Amino acid sequence: MIGVYRDIEGSMRLAGHVLRRFWVLKLPPVAEELVRQIYFTGASATTTIVIRGALIGTLIIAYVIEVLNADAALAVKLLLLVVLREIGPLIAAVLVIQRSGTAVATELALMKISGEVASLRHLRIDPQDYLVVPRVAGIALANTALTVYVQFIAVGGGMVLAALVIDASLEELAANFFLLASPLDVVYSVAKSLLFGAAIGVIACYYGLNPPGNSVNAVPKAAISAVTQATLAVMLLNVVFAYLVYGSALFGLFTADQ
Amino acid sequence: MSAAAEVALGYEPQAGSGLPGERIWIEAGGSHVVPAVGAALKPVLLAAVIELRPRKDARVVVLGAETGSLPEKARAALRAQVAFLPAGGGLLSNLNAWENITLPIGYHEPKRARGLASQVYALLEQFGADARALLAKLPESMTPDERMLAGYVRMRLGRPRLVLGEDPGGAPGASERRRAAAFAAAYLADCPEGTFVQLQEDASDGSG
Repeated sequence: MIGVYRDIEGSMRLAGHVLRRFWVLKLPPVAEELVRQIYFTGASATTTIVIRGALIGTLIIAYVIEVLNADAALAVKLLLLVVLREIGPLIAAVLVIQRSGTAVATELALMKISGEVASLRHLRIDPQDYLVVPRVAGIALANTALTVYVQFIAVGGGMVLAALVIDASLEELAANFFLLASPLDVVYSVAKSLLFGAAIGVIACYYGLNPPGNSVNAVPKAAISAVTQATLAVMLLNVVFAYLVYGSALFGLFTADQ
Repeated sequence: MSAAAEVALGYEPQAGSGLPGERIWIEAGGSHVVPAVGAALKPVLLAAVIELRPRKDARVVVLGAETGSLPEKARAALRAQVAFLPAGGGLLSNLNAWENITLPIGYHEPKRARGLASQVYALLEQFGADARALLAKLPESMTPDERMLAGYVRMRLGRPRLVLGEDPGGAPGASERRRAAAFAAAYLADCPEGTFVQLQEDASDGSG
């Protein structure tokens, strides 16, 4: 139990460091790390993550339409509430955890064990500035971009599928969708994706920089902890967001037109 | 208590503190060897002298300054004047040689980083390296000598007044040792006011 508190406190401290030291991103070597991280998490992963995300999103819509025997109005509502607001950000986050969360935790744990983190300190470079800040910022930005891709393709795919299985044209579904959707949906998704990405980055970096030992065996343990805890954090954040939107005073903002 | 004014490196553990090693007192200037630095002493020395972490259980003097009573600003300024030269170069594995060499300058003095190329080429060519080929290499594709050279050039760009060099190991007269001695000599030739301290491994210490 003490270990859990220590990990939560450590992650919170690391998140605080990222917020306080965000300005280091303007330093050339840190900016290069940011670009590398965005490329790794976002650009180089786009195809695989977007295809997987879109397939999962479309499948969920197919099942739900079938089970609920949905009409055009319900199908559009499902696309907006389930795919755009919930499944899109969640799927992108889970896929980013699988790929980048594991990679970051493994990379940092190896750097710690091989003495590269100590080398940075000897060069008067704060490892948290150079290694953590650009990774957290990079994962947050890339996760947001991937979420937009996943949403776009999953909603598009869901609409095409809905048009095939229910008595409604694609134009009708699209018109209903844009009538129902509001700019707040975009703000909600972007805020959620940024926070999911930042949480994934902080947790992966925390476990990477604090491997449970100094041997190579500690590396997979650090990666497993990072993936488990990042998944848990994303789920918890999702519940908090869901409560804010569906279970509180903000509910009216999102449902006024629906 | 000894005078600290002309001391480049002083380390004096308090009696009964349990700290490893004995008194080390090195005057400023020239090349020095600290013999029998064991696995327990090396991290203590690096933390105290290179990172300047304050200690209450030892007297640590760096470049004439008593580090125990140093204000934070003076500590930061002093840190910029000391450097560590690891035997393996201390390079980051995901950066190529150029990125590794310019990393600290890019981080601490971004404006200075733009005009470094000619200096880096000159330092590499001083040791007969093919600078263009070496600078593009990642550490995994460099020879141990090349890694050491990249670490040396990175250290030189920082213009330190005190350098702690790690023992490269190997038999007396081995190429790594000759290379380390050549680095110390080149550093002192270019920075005659500097001090180069070689931390020699404790031969009886199995863990190095």
